[in-house]
Amino acid sequence: MSQRTPLSRSLLAGAAVLTALTLAACGTTESAAETTPAEPEASAVTVTDARGEAVEIPAGVEDVVALEWVAVEHLQTVGIEPVGVADVAGYEDWAGVGAPLEGEPTDVGTRTEPSIDAIAGLAPDLIVAVAGRDDAAYADLEAIAPVLVLQGADASAPLETMLDDLRLVGEATGGLEAAESAIADFEAHVAEVAAEVEEAGLAGTSLAHMDGYETGGQVEIRPYADGALLPAVFEEAGFVNGWTGEGDPQYGLGATDVEGLTALGDDTHIIYMTVGERDVFRDQLASNEIWTGLPSVQAGNVHRLPDGIWLFGGVDSMAAYLDAIVASLAPTP
Amino acid sequence: MTRVRPGGLALGAALLVALVALSAWHATQGTTQLGAAELLAWLGGDQGNASVIVESRLPRIAAAIVVGLALGAAGYAMQTLTGNPLASPDTLAVNGGAGAAIGIAALLGVSLPGLGGAGLAFAGGLAAALAVVAIGRGRGSTTQMVLVGTALALALQSVTTVAIILAEEENAGLFAWAVGRLSQNGIGTVAQLLPVVLVGIAVLLLLARRLDVLALGEEAATTLGVGVGRLRLGTLVASVALAAAAVAIAGPIGFVGLAAPIVVRLLVARIPGAARHSTAIPLAALAGAVLVVGADVLLRAVLGGTGSLDVPTGVVTSLVGAVCIVVLARTVAGAAETESMSVLGARTLSRRGWPPIAVAALVLVALTVGAVLLGDRMLLLGDVANWLAGRAGDAVRVTLDTRTPRVAAAVLAGVALALSGALVQAVARNALADPYLLGVAGGAGLGAVGVITLVPVAVGWLVAAGALAGGALAGALVLALVGWRRLGSLRLVLTGIALSAAAAALTSLLIVVTDPWNRGKAIVWLAGSTYGRGFEDVLPVATAIVVALVALVWMHRDLDLAQLDEATPRLLGVRLSAVQVVALALSVALASTAVAAIGVVAFVGLVAPHAARAIVGARHRVLLPLAALLGGTLTLLADTLGRTLIAPAQLPAGVMTALVGIPYFIWLVLQAGRAR
Repeated sequence: MSQRTPLSRSLLAGAAVLTALTLAACGTTESAAETTPAEPEASAVTVTDARGEAVEIPAGVEDVVALEWVAVEHLQTVGIEPVGVADVAGYEDWAGVGAPLEGEPTDVGTRTEPSIDAIAGLAPDLIVAVAGRDDAAYADLEAIAPVLVLQGADASAPLETMLDDLRLVGEATGGLEAAESAIADFEAHVAEVAAEVEEAGLAGTSLAHMDGYETGGQVEIRPYADGALLPAVFEEAGFVNGWTGEGDPQYGLGATDVEGLTALGDDTHIIYMTVGERDVFRDQLASNEIWTGLPSVQAGNVHRLPDGIWLFGGVDSMAAYLDAIVASLAPTP
Repeated sequence: MTRVRPGGLALGAALLVALVALSAWHATQGTTQLGAAELLAWLGGDQGNASVIVESRLPRIAAAIVVGLALGAAGYAMQTLTGNPLASPDTLAVNGGAGAAIGIAALLGVSLPGLGGAGLAFAGGLAAALAVVAIGRGRGSTTQMVLVGTALALALQSVTTVAIILAEEENAGLFAWAVGRLSQNGIGTVAQLLPVVLVGIAVLLLLARRLDVLALGEEAATTLGVGVGRLRLGTLVASVALAAAAVAIAGPIGFVGLAAPIVVRLLVARIPGAARHSTAIPLAALAGAVLVVGADVLLRAVLGGTGSLDVPTGVVTSLVGAVCIVVLARTVAGAAETESMSVLGARTLSRRGWPPIAVAALVLVALTVGAVLLGDRMLLLGDVANWLAGRAGDAVRVTLDTRTPRVAAAVLAGVALALSGALVQAVARNALADPYLLGVAGGAGLGAVGVITLVPVAVGWLVAAGALAGGALAGALVLALVGWRRLGSLRLVLTGIALSAAAAALTSLLIVVTDPWNRGKAIVWLAGSTYGRGFEDVLPVATAIVVALVALVWMHRDLDLAQLDEATPRLLGVRLSAVQVVALALSVALASTAVAAIGVVAFVGLVAPHAARAIVGARHRVLLPLAALLGGTLTLLADTLGRTLIAPAQLPAGVMTALVGIPYFIWLVLQAGRAR
C-alpha cells in the first residue's frame, strides 16, 4: 500500500472539517453598527490623572470598570457600583469584609492582564486603573472609554494620596460632594477612634503591622514602614509605628526576616492580616525561638485582624482597619 | 582502596579552607547588627544573642553548605551518568517540579498535614525527575533524557507562573522563592533533609569505582562486568534525591549543579588520579558549597543584610556561575563534544517534503482564522467582515482592533524564533541549542527591559532597538568569548547558557529593584505575553523575517553542509566561518525582534526545528519552511488557548507555549529514539 492514501484521506477529512467549521463560524454576534453619532460633550469634565494626562470624561457616567480593588472601593464610596471588576473572587476574599462589594459586577479577568474583550463588551463610560499596573493596555483601553489612572500609593504622602485618589474619582464621576462628605465622615471616625484610644489609655501604643508569607518552608516578612498607608492611618488615631526600617518609595513596604524582628521595641504590638488557614505567625513561626523569644510575643501582644480588610484600600477599609485594631487591643474580658 | 593523590588532596584542602573562611564571614552577616564580637562572645558561653545565632545565622550557613554539597555532588554524578556536561538538577526537572508543587498547593489552598512547604518541594522535585527518567528510560541516547528533562522543566516552570498569576496574593512569595534564596525558619528544614543529603553522597561514593568505568563508555563498562542498568538506577536515584533535598531547603538555586561540577571536571583533568569519582565527587560537592556560601556572602556584603532580602541568592549564584563557566569554557578543547543532533532526523516521519509543509500551512491559516474568532468574546466571520468593512459595532471593533495585533505578534514571533532556533542548531550542531539557551533571547529581554525602565513610554521600534542591542551584544559576546574560528559545539553552548542565566538574573534584578510590584512587567519579560501589543510592536520582527527569508533562499545549501561536521564543508569548498557568522547574525536579529514583540519565550526556538527535522529531515530547503510554520502555529495556538481557556482571565503565551508544545515534543523525541 502506498503512503499517499492515508495522507490524502486525512487531507480530505481536514478540508471537510475546515469547511464545516467555516460554515458554522459565519454570521455575526452583533448587528452592524449604525454609526454612533458623536454626542455633544458640552457637559464633559476634564481631570488630570496620575499620568499627568488630561482625561476628558462625559458627564453623568454610569457604567464604570475598575481594574484594581482600591478603585472599586473609591467608586462605591462616591455612589457608583462598578459594572466590571478585575478578579471578583479575590476582592471578596481580600477586601470584601472592610468594603463589601455592591451589586453584581462582571469579572473582567486578572488584575495583571484584564480582558479587553470583556471590558469592551460592557461598553463602559469610564475605566479606572491604578498606576504601575496595566501600562501595556492603556492604549487598547482608551479605544473603549476614557481611562482614569489613580496614583494608588505614594510613600511621601500616603494618606493624602489615598484621599486625593478618592477626590479624583469623585470629580471624574460627578460625585465630588459624595467624596468630600465620605472624607469628612472618615476624618470624624478617626477622631472618634482617637478619643476612644485616648480614653482607654492606649494612646502612644506602638504598633507594627506586617505581612508574612511562607513559601517552601521559607518565611518572608514585609513590615509596613513609615510611608505606607496603614501606619499613616493608625498614627492619626494616636498610635505610633513600631517598625523603624525603610520601605519602598511607592507602597512603603519594607522587607525583613525573623531575625530582623528583634529590632522591635519591647512593648510593640504586632498586628497582621491574612485570609483563611494560611497563618505564618501562628503556624510556621510557633517553633522559632527568635519569634517565641520576642518580648511582644511573650507578652501575648500579637493580633490577627479579621480577614478581608484590604490593606491598600480606601476610606471604608481604613475605618474598618482602625476598628479592628481597637477591638483587638481592648483587654479581653 | 583508592589512593588519594596529593593533587586532589591539595585541591580539597584549598576548597575546605575557603569554605571555612567564607562561612565565618557569613555568620557575621544578617538583618541585625550582630557581628564578630557577639559571635565570639556566644562561643565563649554568652547566651544573650543565642536565639538569633541558633535560629537564624547558623541555619542559613547550614542551608548554604548543605545545598552546595548536594548540588555539586548531584550535578557531577548526573553528568557522568548521562555523558552530557549539560546535565544538572535543572535539566532533569527537579527544580521545576518543586516549584510547581508549591504553586499548585497554594493555588488550590491545600496543605499537606505533617508535610511542610519543604516536604512539598522535595516530593514535587522527586516526582518530576522520576517522570523524566520513566519517560526517557531505556531509549538509547542519554541526550534524549536531557531533552525530555529540559522540556518538562520548562513546562513545570510555566505551571508555577500560572499559579502566581491566578493566585497573586496567596503566591506573593513564590516569585522570589523560584529564583532560589537561603532564608531559613530555624534549623528544622536543614535537619530534616541532612540525612537525605548524607545518604545520597554516601551512595554516590560507594558507586564511585563503577562510575569510573561507566565514564569510559557503556560498552566498556558492560565488558568489564559492571551491571550498567543497576548502576544507572542507583546513581540516578541518589543524585535526584540530593537535588530534591537542595531545592526543598532553598528553592532552585540556579547553576550550582552545573557550574561546580564543570569547574571540578576541568581542574581534575590536570591533576593525576583526581579524576576518579571517589575524589572528584567530594571535590564537586565542596566546590558547590563554596559557590553557594560565597555567593551569599558577596550578596550581603554588597547590599547589606536588609537590602539583600529582595535579591534572591540564586541571582548571584547564576552570575558567579556564569562567569566561571564562561572562563572555563574557553579552556575546553572540545574534549567532551556533545552528542551530534543527527539523533533526531536520522529517520523522518514523512518521505517527502512538500505534503507536511502544505498541511502545516493550511493548519496555520485555519488557526489564524480561528484565533481571530476565539477569545474571551467569541466572534463569527460576519463580525470580521463587518470589521473589515468598517461597519462593526464598538465592542466588536475594539475586540478585533486589540486581538488582531496579538494574533500577528504570536505568529510572527513564533516564525522568527523557529527560524532562529533552526539556524543556531545547524551552526552549533547541538540538539539543545536555541536562541534562548544561547543567551540571545535573554540579552534581548534585558535590553528591552532596560529601555522600558529608562523610557517609561517606550514602544515599538525603541523597544525593538533595545532588544536588538541586547541580543546582538549577547551574541557578539558569545562569539568573542568562544573565538571566531572555534565555534566548537560544547564551548558555544556552554558560553551561551552562562550568558543566558546571567541575563535572566540581571533582568529579574532590574525588575525587582526598579518596579517590584509590577507583575505584568515581570511576566512579559521573563515568560512572554502578547497582552497589549499593537501592530507597531510587530513591525520590527516582520522586517527581520523578510530579511532572513531572502538570505536563507541564498544560503540554505551551505547550512546543510555546515550542520554535518567541521571537515565536510571545508572539503567541499564552503567557507564555513562565513556561513556560521551570517547564520548567527540572522539568528540574533530574528530572536531579538521576536523578544521585542512578545517577550522572552523559551520553548519555540527549541521545539519547532526539532519537530520539523523529525518530520522532513535535515535538508534546510524543507526544514526551514516547516520549522517556521510549526513555530508560528505553536505560538499562536498557545496564545489563543491562553486567551480563551480561562476567560476572562488569561494566561500569557510564553507560559502556554511550554504547556502546549511539551507533550508533542516529548513524543517526538521518543519516536526518534525508537527509530534508531
